[in-house]
Amino acid sequence: MPNRLHPALIGFAVLVYLFLMGPLVIVFGAALSDTTFLTFPPQGLTLRWFERIFEIGAFRRTIVTSVEIAFLATALALLIGIPAAYALNRYRIQLPAWLSTLFVLPILVPEIVLGFSLLRSVAVGQSAPIFLTLLIGHTLIVLPYCVRVISASLASFDFSIEEAAISLGSHPVKTFFTIVLPNVRSGVIAAFILAFITSINDVSVSLFLTGPGISTLPIQILAHVEQFFDPVIASVSVLLMLLTVAVMAIVERTLGLTFLAK
Amino acid sequence: MTHPLAVEHLTAHYGTTKVLDDLSLSVGAGELVSLLGASGCGKTTTLRLIAGFLEPTAGTITLGGEDLTRLPAYKRHIGLVFQNYALFPHLSVLDNVAFGLKQRGIATAERNKRARAMLERVGLDQLADRLPGALSGGQKQRVALARALVIEPPLLMFDEPLSNLDAKLRVDMRVEIRQLQRANNTTAVYVTHDQEEAFSISDRVAIMHQGRIMQLDTPEVLYQRPANAFVARFVGFENLIPMKVTARDGDDVTAQAPGGVALALPKARFGDIPDDFVLAARADGLAVTADPDAKGLPATLGLRTYLGRAYQYQCETEAGPLIANGPLSSPLEPGSTARLVPVPDQCCVLKPE
Amino acid sequence: MLKRFAGWTLSAPATTLVVVFLVLPVAATITATFVEPAGIIAPYMEFFSSGFRRTVLWRTLEISLITTIISVGVGFLTAYVVARSPGRIKSLLIIAAVFPLLTGVVVRSFAWLIILGRNGILNNFLIGMGITDEPFSMLYTQGSVIVAMVYLFVPLMVLTLVGVLENIPDDVVQAAASLGASPAATFRQVIFPLAVPGLIVGAVLVFTGSFTAYATPQLLGGESQMVMGTLMYQRAMVAFDWVSASTIAAIMVVVTVAVVLFMTRAARRLNPMAT
Repeated sequence: MPNRLHPALIGFAVLVYLFLMGPLVIVFGAALSDTTFLTFPPQGLTLRWFERIFEIGAFRRTIVTSVEIAFLATALALLIGIPAAYALNRYRIQLPAWLSTLFVLPILVPEIVLGFSLLRSVAVGQSAPIFLTLLIGHTLIVLPYCVRVISASLASFDFSIEEAAISLGSHPVKTFFTIVLPNVRSGVIAAFILAFITSINDVSVSLFLTGPGISTLPIQILAHVEQFFDPVIASVSVLLMLLTVAVMAIVERTLGLTFLAK
Repeated sequence: MTHPLAVEHLTAHYGTTKVLDDLSLSVGAGELVSLLGASGCGKTTTLRLIAGFLEPTAGTITLGGEDLTRLPAYKRHIGLVFQNYALFPHLSVLDNVAFGLKQRGIATAERNKRARAMLERVGLDQLADRLPGALSGGQKQRVALARALVIEPPLLMFDEPLSNLDAKLRVDMRVEIRQLQRANNTTAVYVTHDQEEAFSISDRVAIMHQGRIMQLDTPEVLYQRPANAFVARFVGFENLIPMKVTARDGDDVTAQAPGGVALALPKARFGDIPDDFVLAARADGLAVTADPDAKGLPATLGLRTYLGRAYQYQCETEAGPLIANGPLSSPLEPGSTARLVPVPDQCCVLKPE
Repeated sequence: MLKRFAGWTLSAPATTLVVVFLVLPVAATITATFVEPAGIIAPYMEFFSSGFRRTVLWRTLEISLITTIISVGVGFLTAYVVARSPGRIKSLLIIAAVFPLLTGVVVRSFAWLIILGRNGILNNFLIGMGITDEPFSMLYTQGSVIVAMVYLFVPLMVLTLVGVLENIPDDVVQAAASLGASPAATFRQVIFPLAVPGLIVGAVLVFTGSFTAYATPQLLGGESQMVMGTLMYQRAMVAFDWVSASTIAAIMVVVTVAVVLFMTRAARRLNPMAT
């Protein structure tokens, strides 16, 4: 596109970016404040609120649960999502069009409705353990990311490469692992990261699927804010932001960040 | 290692659409047969059925007497060269070529030795350690060829292997492919939509249309004596003129064209001529002359184009619009009347359809 | 034989998961609202006869609509600047939009709690400037919910629309210029119409997202600005009135599906580049 922008437009964009970045900077500052209440700019600097996170049992437990759920849900979603994405691309003519819609349904259906329905039908209806129900819920909401991102990689994969390997005597299953998978590696990494971060940050599905003893970090943050208004929440938020930064660094290393803009 | 290929009564469907209709084809040991036709004619489907990537609804495929029809693709040991090369992007050139040998459990040292030898044959031993992304189109196709040949397949198949290359390279590569195929005496099936390519490279060519073989013959026969109107048009007989025999006299047959003009056709060139037939002529097969007494179809000349070796005229005749060539020495003006005289060498006789 | 069913076999686990744990449970939730002994639409009559719940529904629609309009407008103008920025700056701006997007809803909503709260920076700032004497709470108002929601969705809009704008071929823009269109005219008559389908898709994402949101209205709206999401949670987990919660869920699904279907159809009809 030609490079002439009205100065007012540029000024507007600068303001929008200040609006986008400002609140996150404020959270960062608030986490360092040496006060018992949340404030910005920080009054005095301390890291004690980060230590405090791990002194509170509920945070320790929910961080573990969130990480466990995120890993398991992502692994499960990849395990079933990769073959599905492969099938959608490889056997497009024999599969109906609605199948690919089915796999994005978890984004289409309001998450809060999904969470409530899982509570009704699975956790209560089938007396399933709450951890298992939570895992199912998270697997469902990250599945669309896995299927779509890997599908996008497979769409640019030339399947005659796979056929070449088979014609040279490589078993189809072996071919998938030695030829197809290495060539969509970046898609798998991207899917993993998107799925993981989606699961870690989820509120709406987890909301109904937490109970005494089992909760996730975002739900715990919500509960904590209702009772206390101390900087520990800001420091937990900073931890989550650092996770985001780490994720973006991994993406930058492996795929280049413009990947995320697609 | 060389085996004849026999395809018998092959029928295939995509969903409910029939894409191949009772197709039979035999390729002799060491022979190269091309499947030639427009896209959607079934040529690639045939190749993919033979390779085992598609399953036929009916029919059998045998190679050297062994029935391949139900054998999975990876057990068929057919060398395949793809249109877009299909090199493994994450493997070096050497590993690409050695891949098939590795599947056969050949030890690393031995397979690298053989792969290098094959790369040397296609002139790429210098590039053995590169990744395919760093190669030019022609080099990629050579790697693909080496990769297919190194496993010494009983059958080698090509799927439009040259269509991504530029014109000059295409001609060089097809000579190279033919030499390698000859030298190894490998049975080969070659799919292309390029008539010149098919004719130049093949022992025999199958011209395909709507899932059927319209004619399977040597390039010479196809070019000079097409068996039907479809093949005639395909190989450049632009004019199809319905005719009726009016007299038979020893070596000559007299036949009447639409509009009543009678033409004499020598039996020596055309063989047996049925009472009703179609005279097929290339533009070169109808000579344009201003001589009103010449024995030819009366025509009104339309647009004239310059071909370098001749002038070509769009003509209006009793038999409909025809295309004919006239000598450079005597250009005729559009709108003038002329005669179109059949040149026996550039014409052939077809049964009416 | 296997080949004929390979596609189905490979997609079977994912299909099963979605059908068994999403389609069936959600269908069961919706069905539950139609089998009440009081009559098949009794739960809906109850919902709509309650002035409070009607208010919640209208409020949710209002918040979603305002959020959508602001996010689309702000997002489009920003995306236009991003798309036309030179390479390096463009990637920086994209990264700066991706970062908040990957940061969770809770963190991003919580940030506004610090800004808008009684001891928040906005109050401190206003007092410092002498505009007001004592802090007043800007929280738990419709405005605070909308600000935080816009904050939530602007990055998504920017990224979606940068993609849309970059898909508009350069030569189309150059052709307009060569035919004498000023930059403003090119924007109005060429770029904007080509971006409309993308705008609609983005608007659908924002609208359905805000209509079904929970965390943001919970943190910044609280009891006084109850929306469908928070009301549903309250009915289900505080009042344990599952029929009423299911009714709200059903209304959410219907509104979401209707908006998605209607708008994607509109987007498709308006897409001049569709084949």
